[in-house]
Amino acid sequence: MLIITCIKQVPDTTQVKIDAVTGTLIREGVPSIINPFDAHALEESLRLKDEYGFKVVAISMGPPSAEMTLRRALALGADDVILLSDRAFGGADTLATSMLLSEAIKRLSVHEEIAMVICGKQTIDGDTAQVGPGIATRLKYTQLTSVDRIENIDIQSRRITVRCKFEGRYEILESSLPAMIAVLREINRPRYPTVPMRMMSQEAVIKTWDNKIMRLNENTVGLKGSATAVKRIFSPDRAMGQILGGDEISNPDDAARMLIDKLVSKNLLSLQ
Amino acid sequence: MNEKKKIRKPLGVARLIEGKCILCGARCQSICPKHVVTMTEQGEPVIDISLCTGCKKCITICPSQALEIYFTSEQEKILEQIARDQQETLLHEEEPEALEKPRGHDEYRGVWVFVEQINEEAAPVSWELLSVGSVLAKQLDVELCAIVIGEKVEQLCHLAFTYGADKAYLMDDPIFRYYRTEPYFKALCYLSKKYKPEIMLIGATGVGRDLAGAVATELNTGLTADCTGLAVDNERRLLMQTRPAFGGNIMATITTERSWPQMATVRPHTMHMHERDTSRQGEIVNEKLDMYEEEIATKVIEIIERKQSGEVDITAADYIISGGRGLQSADNFRLLKELADELGGVVACSRSAVDAGWMPSEHQVGQTGKTVRPKIYVACGISGAIQHLVGMQNSDILSQGKLKP
Amino acid sequence: MSAQIPFFTTLFAVAAVFFLWSCYLRFSLVLLGKPDDRFSNFSRRFANMLLYAFGQKRVVTRSYPFGLNHSVFFWCFLILLIANTEFLLHGLFPGYISLSHLPEGLYFALALVFDIVSFVALLAVVIALSRRWFYPPEYIDARSVDAFVILGLVATLMLAFFGMHGSEIALGSEGAAAFMPVSNFVGSFILAGAPVNMLVAMVTVFFWIHAVTLLLFLDYLPYSKHMHILTAIPNCFFRSIEKINTQLPEEFKKGNSYGVGQVDQFRWKDLFDSMSCTECGRCSDNCPATLTGKALNPRLLIHDIKMNLLHNGKLLKSGRAPDLPLIGGLKEGSIADDVLWACTTCGACMEVCPVFIEHVPKIVYMRRHQVEMKAKFPEELLTLFDNMENRSNPWGIIPAERGRWTSETVAPLFEKDKTEFLFFVGCAGAFDTRNKRNTLAITRILDKGGVSWGALGKDEQCCGDSLRRLGNEFVFAQMAKQNVKAFKDMGVRKVITQCPHCYNTLKNDYRQFGGELEVLHYTELALQLVESGKLAFKNKAELGKVVFHDSCYLGRYNSIYKTPRELIELATGHSPLEMERAFERSFCCGAGGGRMWMEESAGNRVNLERVKEALKRQPDTICVCCPYCVTMMEDGLMDLKVSDQVKVLELSEIIETALK
Repeated sequence: MLIITCIKQVPDTTQVKIDAVTGTLIREGVPSIINPFDAHALEESLRLKDEYGFKVVAISMGPPSAEMTLRRALALGADDVILLSDRAFGGADTLATSMLLSEAIKRLSVHEEIAMVICGKQTIDGDTAQVGPGIATRLKYTQLTSVDRIENIDIQSRRITVRCKFEGRYEILESSLPAMIAVLREINRPRYPTVPMRMMSQEAVIKTWDNKIMRLNENTVGLKGSATAVKRIFSPDRAMGQILGGDEISNPDDAARMLIDKLVSKNLLSLQ
Repeated sequence: MNEKKKIRKPLGVARLIEGKCILCGARCQSICPKHVVTMTEQGEPVIDISLCTGCKKCITICPSQALEIYFTSEQEKILEQIARDQQETLLHEEEPEALEKPRGHDEYRGVWVFVEQINEEAAPVSWELLSVGSVLAKQLDVELCAIVIGEKVEQLCHLAFTYGADKAYLMDDPIFRYYRTEPYFKALCYLSKKYKPEIMLIGATGVGRDLAGAVATELNTGLTADCTGLAVDNERRLLMQTRPAFGGNIMATITTERSWPQMATVRPHTMHMHERDTSRQGEIVNEKLDMYEEEIATKVIEIIERKQSGEVDITAADYIISGGRGLQSADNFRLLKELADELGGVVACSRSAVDAGWMPSEHQVGQTGKTVRPKIYVACGISGAIQHLVGMQNSDILSQGKLKP
Repeated sequence: MSAQIPFFTTLFAVAAVFFLWSCYLRFSLVLLGKPDDRFSNFSRRFANMLLYAFGQKRVVTRSYPFGLNHSVFFWCFLILLIANTEFLLHGLFPGYISLSHLPEGLYFALALVFDIVSFVALLAVVIALSRRWFYPPEYIDARSVDAFVILGLVATLMLAFFGMHGSEIALGSEGAAAFMPVSNFVGSFILAGAPVNMLVAMVTVFFWIHAVTLLLFLDYLPYSKHMHILTAIPNCFFRSIEKINTQLPEEFKKGNSYGVGQVDQFRWKDLFDSMSCTECGRCSDNCPATLTGKALNPRLLIHDIKMNLLHNGKLLKSGRAPDLPLIGGLKEGSIADDVLWACTTCGACMEVCPVFIEHVPKIVYMRRHQVEMKAKFPEELLTLFDNMENRSNPWGIIPAERGRWTSETVAPLFEKDKTEFLFFVGCAGAFDTRNKRNTLAITRILDKGGVSWGALGKDEQCCGDSLRRLGNEFVFAQMAKQNVKAFKDMGVRKVITQCPHCYNTLKNDYRQFGGELEVLHYTELALQLVESGKLAFKNKAELGKVVFHDSCYLGRYNSIYKTPRELIELATGHSPLEMERAFERSFCCGAGGGRMWMEESAGNRVNLERVKEALKRQPDTICVCCPYCVTMMEDGLMDLKVSDQVKVLELSEIIETALK
């Protein structure tokens, strides 16, 4: 049985800054990395491989340079990787992305039964958390999101038990396979690749599926298959840090009150 | 003279403005009808000017206005030529086709807000959404509807009216006792297909994002995640959805122009909640989903209140009160605990506090401890050594307090 | 006696064959190791052997006064080796070989020497026995059976010697009696008047006691720690000619295995090391890990390698897999993971080892196996490894921030063919608020001294020191190659470093990657500037009592001891106070070898141990010369709640004060 894990190569957004003067994005030297959530999804897939003997296939949609991310997946122990890359796939929003990914997964399911699709909850560049549910809906798989622990898998009866983490509560859910599982960062700690595996992955030929292979209607993928459009991009106003209770306030109570007022005014705190 | 008439006015070619590309994901390449855009390893476009026809499609689609039209030196020459022969009538190339301007879809009307509830109690974000939804509905001159799904939740409809809803669609059934994707998703799709709203707002909570992603895919429409600002373009009946992207480094305004409903999940605490108007009444529409418990694969085994679970996970906490060597004793950590409990946050600490035995090591933030990303990080009696700072530098707001002995 | 010859010959033959067989069994195991060039530069090696083995230089200086006792043993042993060879040959061919066949003068002289030396040896045994019995040193297993067996055998040999010669003198059959004072005393006083036939019998009995003891001693050697009698001298010959301040690179090729995870993956010299260990315990007595209660004990580590080799040797020789793991097992002969990660690579063990065992490289090679083949290491290091690989600094701070260590002035950038020195700031100097102060101080020293310098700003990359010491050679090699290439492209020839770890890495590690740099620690340059008159100390820095802490990577790794002290004297007017452990014996701050990035949960903290030692001198200022030491010492002072009274200053800050 297969576990498909969806990973995305993203710019390391913590290194992206906006030039306060010109309002342009400073991303000089910003490297591409594996989306951190997806690193946990991959790790969970590999952990389940170690425990239950699944075969793990990592798929990624992106430009040819996204190969790097898939090589990392190979180095960590994925059995196979597939890059979905085509001019027609570019500019996709979550609707078009989930379309392409689910079609690719369908192709894989022809040869082998799929137990799970494991995704990171969201990407750090888009932060949408929508691709996972999109895939589950299109494939009619069980949808389990915000998973912070896979408690049990019963392969015989095709059942799975997970723990989901929602606001203020954990939910233990039991459901059926195949399932799409979107995981949180807390679920595990990704492993480190060994050198022989790294060397193997550097030499591996990465399978690329373009639209000649996928043969999808170009109006359903990429920019043309997207329902949303980005109209405008601008920099947020981010204020510098401020020292409360400096020279003008000597009383800690006043400083605390000022801090609370600030937080309430920014909707970060509510006093009931 | 006849020959000159055939000169076409050059339309220029597209080029990238240095430093403006945001690596949106090759929209320009994708839209280019002549396939003259290639992407660099980094993800920036390279335009083959010898083939560019100046159609401006890429310029329109670029979300960051990073592309512009300019004239090559040859084209400049031709332009000059044309200028010299001003008197001549010029052959105008027809204007590039403008993107079709949608004006809404007559079938789709109304603003919907999904009222998220657990144990018959609504999540506060639902009321925030009704507040903002009532503004949007007023501008579009349509009804504001609350979608209430659950078991024994009719009272939520009445509450929704007091927050501004005109109508409530209610689905009350034991299968909705707990939130599960399958029945909720089917219910919302059923309602949407039947009543066709033009805008649907859902709270960007764990549940909300689980539900919205599935519904939007099924309805084959656009969904914008985690919005922090909403407005409408009255003329085109477009919902202008503003949200942070690139880890909050930039803001983007997003629209869904050719499919309905226009769906958005909205970040809690970002919309102003109106005062309740307890006099308001509305119409309740009861609906039923043709689904039985036996058909639902997912079973809720247990729900555990996070507070009672005894598990402390500082990496996922929104509020962190952290203490260090400056606190001087384990006793003083109780003060932090009180504050943390008040805020619904957790207590963390620096390594010195672990070393001193004041706190267990799973609370440690820093290089050899955990990396946290809370909304608010309050550091008390922590000197701010680099080993600690790297563990909490991604917090939204930091507050550091020095302690006077 | 002639009737005894065949018997003696047989006994001798059996013992000799057994001895040779034992030696073969053991030493052939050494050949399981990988190749290592330890024969080049013969003359220097030979000189080393004379100085350290025959001169017993380290034995004497590092453990006074008992080291002296050992050199007495050593020399007695060498001299008596001649006596005993004669004894054996005489036993085999009594008619042909005997000292008495020599010219009289030489015979008498030898007789005198042997007699006295035997007595001295006996005394040394008594001293050693009483020390072990009454005042056993803490750091070794002083009362081991092995030690007593050997001392007993040596004592028996000496007693038998005197017994035999005494009886002969009493019989009047010893020509050199007058030149054998001790034997003569035995013969003339103790045995005076004994019946002749009894004396004749005693000669025979003592002869046999002596013979059997000698052969027992011989056969016992290969099975005890006293094997070092055979291996120590060659090990001094094979010692590394260069200072051990780096580790050998790996060849990254498909199919290769990396690091040492199995005993035969060591180089042969490493295996020979394990057989040369005298178990004297000097390494453990100086190891910061051992002394603060960590799992690592360098002596036991070497012992475990030997035991592993002995256990698995047979299997490995026949090409089979070993059944006792080198790393991770719980039994003797297997090294626990914690042991490997406790090392600070401070090099104190190697500095004191009398037979030049190379502990640190072995530990690093085993770490390599854990990291590169098993990906098994303390959890905290995952963050470090990712940060280093993705952002080229240990904290994972955005690389664009690297150039921002100065806000007051814009640091000049290195320009090809214009700038003379590259100032390699280092991660701590560039990112850590506390250590940025030193960086600024250094730039002021350079400016005052009129040095042409430039930095790389945000393009500087981490040197990779921590990665190499932690065994992540793969990523280290990538970083080293990149840096070496960048230096070459930019035309960098001379480099000044702030951090001793950068210093050592650029100077010693990068040579393996083609780096041809003249690397100076800023203290070296500062002193040069003072000596050439370019830098003058106008003021004296008033810092009260200053105690100096040697950084391992400056001191032990690169022999820079005097330079910082001279600078302190110039800047403050006084030479610094010294701690109990200083110079070559200096005690690590606890951050080296990648320990900076790991938790220290076992035992006491190394930095506390060191700070307490510094506080014994009641200083006002602790002067250090390394950003890691700054952090560790300041932390220690804070933990001891004395940071208000005692300050930690980097030497650059002291110099800067004196320049103002």
